[in-house]
Amino acid sequence: MKKVLIYIALFAGALVFGYPFVWMATATFKPELEIGALSPIASEWTLDSYRFVFDTIPLGRAFLNSLVVVTAVTTSVLVFGSMAGYALAKLRWRGREFVFMTILFTLMVPFLVMLIPLYTLVVQFGWTDSLVGVIVPFMMNATAVLILRQSFLTVPSEILDAARVDGCGELRILFSVVWRLSVPALVTAGIIVFVGTWNEVLWPLVVIRREEWMTMPQMVALFTVGGGASARLGAQLAAALLLGLPVVLAYLFFQRHFITSLASTGVKG
Amino acid sequence: MAVPRPTSPEYEQRGRGFSSDKARPGGKLQGRFLNSGYALVAPYVLHLLVFFGYPLLFSFILVFHRWDVVTPMEFAGLKNFIRLLQDDLFFRALLNTGVFLSIHIPLQIILALFFAELLNKRLFGRAAFRAIYFLPVVVSGVVVTILFQQLFAFDTGLINNLITSLGGSRVPWLSSPDFAMPSIAILATWKNAGLYVILFLGGLQNIPSSLYEVVDLDGANAWQKWWHVTLPMLNPMVVTVVVLSTIGGFSLFIEPYVLTGGGPLNSTLSALLYIYNQAFYFNHMGYAAALGLCFALLILLVVLLQRRFVEREIY
Amino acid sequence: MPLFSFRAAGGGAAAAARSASAVAYPLVKVLAFAALLVAGGACTGSGETGGEAGVVRLTYWPAQNEHERRLATELAEAWNREHPGVQVAVQPLPAGQSSEEVLLAAVVAGTTPDVCSNVWPGIVSHLVRAGGVLPFDRFADSDSLLASRIPEALLGHFRAEDGRYYQIPWKTNPTMMMYNKRLFREAGYTEPPASYSEYLAAAAHVTKDLNGDGQVDRWIGYRDIRPIWWQRYFDFYPFYIGASGGRTFFEDGELALDTAAAARVFSFFRELYGQRYFPLTTYQGSAFLAETIATEFTGPYNVSWMEENAPPEMEYGFAPLPAPDGHEGPLYTYGDFKNIAIFANTKHPDEAWAFARYLVSKEADLKLLETTRQIPVRRDLLDDSTFADFFRRNPDVVPFARQAEYTRGVDSVPSFQEMLDAIAQEFEASAVYGVRTPRESTLGAIRRINMIHEWSLAD
Repeated sequence: MKKVLIYIALFAGALVFGYPFVWMATATFKPELEIGALSPIASEWTLDSYRFVFDTIPLGRAFLNSLVVVTAVTTSVLVFGSMAGYALAKLRWRGREFVFMTILFTLMVPFLVMLIPLYTLVVQFGWTDSLVGVIVPFMMNATAVLILRQSFLTVPSEILDAARVDGCGELRILFSVVWRLSVPALVTAGIIVFVGTWNEVLWPLVVIRREEWMTMPQMVALFTVGGGASARLGAQLAAALLLGLPVVLAYLFFQRHFITSLASTGVKG
Repeated sequence: MAVPRPTSPEYEQRGRGFSSDKARPGGKLQGRFLNSGYALVAPYVLHLLVFFGYPLLFSFILVFHRWDVVTPMEFAGLKNFIRLLQDDLFFRALLNTGVFLSIHIPLQIILALFFAELLNKRLFGRAAFRAIYFLPVVVSGVVVTILFQQLFAFDTGLINNLITSLGGSRVPWLSSPDFAMPSIAILATWKNAGLYVILFLGGLQNIPSSLYEVVDLDGANAWQKWWHVTLPMLNPMVVTVVVLSTIGGFSLFIEPYVLTGGGPLNSTLSALLYIYNQAFYFNHMGYAAALGLCFALLILLVVLLQRRFVEREIY
Repeated sequence: MPLFSFRAAGGGAAAAARSASAVAYPLVKVLAFAALLVAGGACTGSGETGGEAGVVRLTYWPAQNEHERRLATELAEAWNREHPGVQVAVQPLPAGQSSEEVLLAAVVAGTTPDVCSNVWPGIVSHLVRAGGVLPFDRFADSDSLLASRIPEALLGHFRAEDGRYYQIPWKTNPTMMMYNKRLFREAGYTEPPASYSEYLAAAAHVTKDLNGDGQVDRWIGYRDIRPIWWQRYFDFYPFYIGASGGRTFFEDGELALDTAAAARVFSFFRELYGQRYFPLTTYQGSAFLAETIATEFTGPYNVSWMEENAPPEMEYGFAPLPAPDGHEGPLYTYGDFKNIAIFANTKHPDEAWAFARYLVSKEADLKLLETTRQIPVRRDLLDDSTFADFFRRNPDVVPFARQAEYTRGVDSVPSFQEMLDAIAQEFEASAVYGVRTPRESTLGAIRRINMIHEWSLAD
């Protein structure tokens, strides 16, 4: 009996957390007037909402922009973050602990403080209205460095020494030996950065004003707020669905990794 | 440092301890440098200096100036701070954040604990439920916000339609100054609960069953077990949830930006939204920087207080 | 997977050096390339006065909209034909958030044009402080030009803090009331309402539930209820200027809000929303065109828009805004002025002045009327025979022309935008939501505007 109650509660939870997405998906295929209806069934299925979205805003371009940004940032974070994490974990050099403390410190400073001065810096570099301004300030990520360092610490030093004896430079050791042994950490850091960067909307809103360089979440948000959607609810939901699709698809295939990665640091998507 | 001797033939040949600090084969100075920790960490440190250090330091200068980016900075002394203390929108943003947190945090903890407990049992399909609960966490805030815009809409919204079909009357979720921020708090709870379910789940699973057994021997019932064992053991997790949610509450941006623009009657004006408006709507960079600094200090204060009062030692 | 290829041979150092540089070099190249792009992009030249010896070349920036660009091209071509020695090139305003920001940025970067006719009076004090614009007293005939052009009532309005003139008033868009004649006639009114109480009385008859479904379908008017600062240019600000007898917010650099007038305006709109004569929803598209609302507060740019979009049988007219009961004297309103300025960086000030003079000649003003339906700011607009024919053909523009003299712009104080934002918030609180009394709102607005003003003043 108790089990039945538990299942009912779990299903209720699933309904609460899951049905809105189902509803959203079906609403994008319904005619405009039926969108408020509770049921996911429509009298007729139509692609009008999607057509309107693509007629009104260059969402495909925004998707590409986001893709470029996410790829560049994730690659950079993983490469340079690994280098830093490796140096912090496995190499000895003066000032190592100081740098480590500094990195910890950066995590404590809320973005509120950085937003304005960082923006003025980007303006001075002339990077506004360009993807460079969105990518470069986020090319390094302290959380990723910590995760990678943590994982690198567990790599047995003998293996590294053996590689050194073979004549490998540190970089080669890092990328061919250590990386192979730290795939879970790389995946974790990668997912965190991927999801975080894909979903990031405040920074693009600040740096980019021209439509051709907007990222996907930014474009969808402005579509809704700016009146471009002309109060067409279906179109707004369609744009939102398209925005969420890549991450949801990745999530469906890599759920377990997503959950363990994002939950391990308490970092939100 | 002592290194267990590997058995490769090269090592035997060398016949001495091998430390990673010693010269490389080929031992050129350039090679030494490029293989050192300095070179590897250099890109990161360089980036940190330029994109973290400099802005942080610059913010301490900016707060004493007025600047609209296009014209030269004007020294303004303490004017930004004087204005801040008189600015009722600054205090309104603080109040709004307080309203948000006072609903969001308890709701989040209760909901997350509840589902974590349920998922802690040995059940079929646990992974599926976990995946569904976690889905809102992964999805972009923009998506969730637009979704809830439709759910919360007064005339055509799903929730109101549900309520009216059950015989109730429509609720002005986002159009009433009294309901708007609570509605956003509900939205934020819905979005993040899954994350904390997982965290609590991890915490629950880490509680040694021996503790429960001890209490069992004393004849404790489920409620007492929960109150005296589970909750205290979860305390670190609860503190984490509280601290993370607090920082999240001060960073609330996209929800009020899209749903309400800060209204109605400034009831959903969040700290970050006010900073954003001051900086990018009115081009008051110096004042916005001062706001950022003050809010950050307040976050620090609040978090310290929370840790002081919520955190308990675990024996 | 490693990102770069390795060669197993050749000591670890060399390999490491190559691999590190394999990382570093591309990065450095990318950064250098990016820096070059940035530098190249930033050097978009502005007007250059070079070219053939003897020919003076001027650059002229008009507003971005289609009508004004067309006007600018016509005027420049006409001038160029008459003046082969002074050639004017029309350049589009560089991209930016607003033309104000663009102009300020140009002053800082030294990329200003010679002449710009899209100068908002609100930034002139900023431009003067930055040394970006030329005072006109260096030109011998400036006094006579300005005295003959500027209507009496506006003379002091465009003088800068130091008493000199840095802008020639060019055109304005007085805010007036467009009304649907048929809807008023059906409600029993032959004349549009001229006072607050007449407006409210008419509202009671015009605002109706047409199809008996319990929901009102037609209102007497509509305003965007979101507290957006520039929306107040269509309700609070023009009504306040009217109610205060032509005063704006500041006088001699000090806040001098006419509290009685402000309270009356808040209270008028409070009544409108309180009685549900104005709807609380946001409309997309023109509700006036759909005959869902009977009046709209708008400018002369709507004259041509309505000509193009209204069905022929629709009857509408233009009248002054309602005045407070018992109002005496002329009724002022808000006019969005755009003026002409000559930038300090110009290499040919006298030629620039000559062109600026041409822009405010009768011939140019007539073209302005024809092309954009916006009102040139000139004394003799309705008297001079040059324009008589135009007004005969376009009677709808006449009320605006009459109103042009009794128009006020914005105060030339820094942060005016944010002050209007303060008003917008009070408007939302007292008029739309009715949670504050008009008096509380007025005092609240004064307090916040003072705070902003204190903060924005240079020490």
